[in-house]
Amino acid sequence: MSLFPKVGRNQPGLRVTWTLVVAVLCIGIFLHLIPFYFMIVTSLKTAPEIMRIPPTLLPENPTLAAWQLVFQVSAGSTILRQPLYQYFLNSCIMAFGTLALSLPITSFAAYANSKLQRGRGARWTFLFFIGTLMVPAAVTLIPTFLLTRNFPFPVPTVPNIPGTETPFPVIRTWNTAWAVIIPGVFSAFNFLLFKGFFDTIPNSIIQAARVDGGSEFNIFRRIVLPMSIPVFAVAAYLQFSGVWDSFMWPLLVIQDSTRSPMSVAIYNLINVFMSTGTMRPQASLATNEQIRQLQEAGLSWNGLVVLGILQTIPIFIMFIVSRNYLLKGVKIRGLK
Amino acid sequence: MAEQTLAPGTPVEEMKPAAVVEVKLTRRSRVEKWAFLIPALLFQLSWGWYPLVVAFLLSMTDARPRGPISWTGFQSYSRVWADPLVGSAFRVTIIYAALSIVLTFLIPIIVAILLMEMKPRVMRWMMILWFLPLSGVASTIMWRYVYNQDFGFLQWIAMDVLGLERQGFLASADQVLFWLIFPGILMFGPGLIYMAGLQSIPQSYYEAAEIEGAGLWRKIWTISLPRIRPIIVMMLTFAIIGSLQVFDWPKLMTDGGPGGASRTVVMYMFDLLNSLRYSDATALAIFLFILIMAITITYRILFKEDPDS
Repeated sequence: MSLFPKVGRNQPGLRVTWTLVVAVLCIGIFLHLIPFYFMIVTSLKTAPEIMRIPPTLLPENPTLAAWQLVFQVSAGSTILRQPLYQYFLNSCIMAFGTLALSLPITSFAAYANSKLQRGRGARWTFLFFIGTLMVPAAVTLIPTFLLTRNFPFPVPTVPNIPGTETPFPVIRTWNTAWAVIIPGVFSAFNFLLFKGFFDTIPNSIIQAARVDGGSEFNIFRRIVLPMSIPVFAVAAYLQFSGVWDSFMWPLLVIQDSTRSPMSVAIYNLINVFMSTGTMRPQASLATNEQIRQLQEAGLSWNGLVVLGILQTIPIFIMFIVSRNYLLKGVKIRGLK
Repeated sequence: MAEQTLAPGTPVEEMKPAAVVEVKLTRRSRVEKWAFLIPALLFQLSWGWYPLVVAFLLSMTDARPRGPISWTGFQSYSRVWADPLVGSAFRVTIIYAALSIVLTFLIPIIVAILLMEMKPRVMRWMMILWFLPLSGVASTIMWRYVYNQDFGFLQWIAMDVLGLERQGFLASADQVLFWLIFPGILMFGPGLIYMAGLQSIPQSYYEAAEIEGAGLWRKIWTISLPRIRPIIVMMLTFAIIGSLQVFDWPKLMTDGGPGGASRTVVMYMFDLLNSLRYSDATALAIFLFILIMAITITYRILFKEDPDS
């Protein structure tokens, strides 16, 4: 509401620019919505219609067959080891487990750094916390992977306690949901979000509460927390969608396919369908009887798109829930 | 804080900031401060910094899944350096990163600036529609269908609408990197963070500029952009780091194909890891780390001066 002058909006030059701006935004929104429309429509089409060129804008015979087939596959078959809801649950455990640990720990630290620490100590703690943002995750990927196996020792074989035959005690999170949760507990970016937000809360409010004799924890819980709902919403949304959509890490640390999250399960399903030629039924080399039956029943890209929609829904819900807070919660000012 | 009155002509040295009321924490508060900090410090130490140290140590060993481990110095580095596939992986990664930053970095900034012009009610709706999230896996599925060579949407546009020859899209080694850029655009972009930054610019700046006769571009160029510059610098840093270690899109869409034309450094690292060559994979990651650090530091030196400091 600031680039365009408040008076004189009716000048022809400004009117043209204004119309252009609105048009650009609307076209962008239109382009952005196409994938969503396309996914929903594709999930309602029949298999022959999907292979048609040019693609149809609206399904000719809208059918829920793909949805039914996906749930049929997912209700236990040889293609998926577990019913689909089990993978959904695995993803939920990982995402909400991370949130439950990460939000309190990260926000406590940011609050202490913003309001309780002073001077050089605060500066160094801050750098200690956000320094890892500059480290590419690829570098720490393999060490972290090894650390999930034998926690303090990044080696595959645990050394013995000197002088004895018993190995050191180790924490082993590998192949459990903890392997996804623990490394994500402290999130440097969320720390930056929280710190930026807490910095804008006036010290006098906290000082007043302190004079009234509140303990730091009570000040945080009763005064800071109610003021900070927006930043919690943003942090929760970002972290939830990050964990929900994470793909490489669970693929690496979770070997037992019954424990893998939705994203990995969907990846495996895509690979099964692709390798058996579902996408080109005329050249189908389907070896798996069950998959061939599914193909004959009309499973194709429509089924995969259904999986994609299922994977998107939770992120979507989180977005809708936190939508009103998103703009209010972000108050970061760079990495300074 | 005490108001300071300054006589005209007071030397700058005497303009001390109002005395900051030093918060004296009680002993209980000091204990609580550490109680707040310690969990995060421990997690950041053990899962943030410790793996980084381990990475450097690990790359100088011959770590294997079984058996004793010994120091081998820089052997794995020279082995990785001599690997011909590594060179091509770096080439692919750098082309991908350059393409994706050139093509996508500016879009959210422009969108954020334009969105802020709308009326608050309209803006809220447009913002939701612009930043509607789509899961990465879902996006991949959709784009694989769109790029499909036989009945994909793009093939239809290319052949029937534009009258081109049959295109390879993801199956063509020349094009694959270009088409891999687009799935990422759909993701929840940094636009929201730019919008939040723009929102905090005082209106009076624009009003003052208006009185001075500044036009549209002038306001964007001298107020909006400089004020969100620290955020732009930060987001560009993240974009560089993120795009140089791209893994998910190529893994899900092409798995490195055709013939390694989309095999990025991190994908190759993943392959090395799967063939249990831990130290080689780590050495490769450290090469990537050095490249990323070199680029980041160069550009942070270039963009050092900050209008707010």
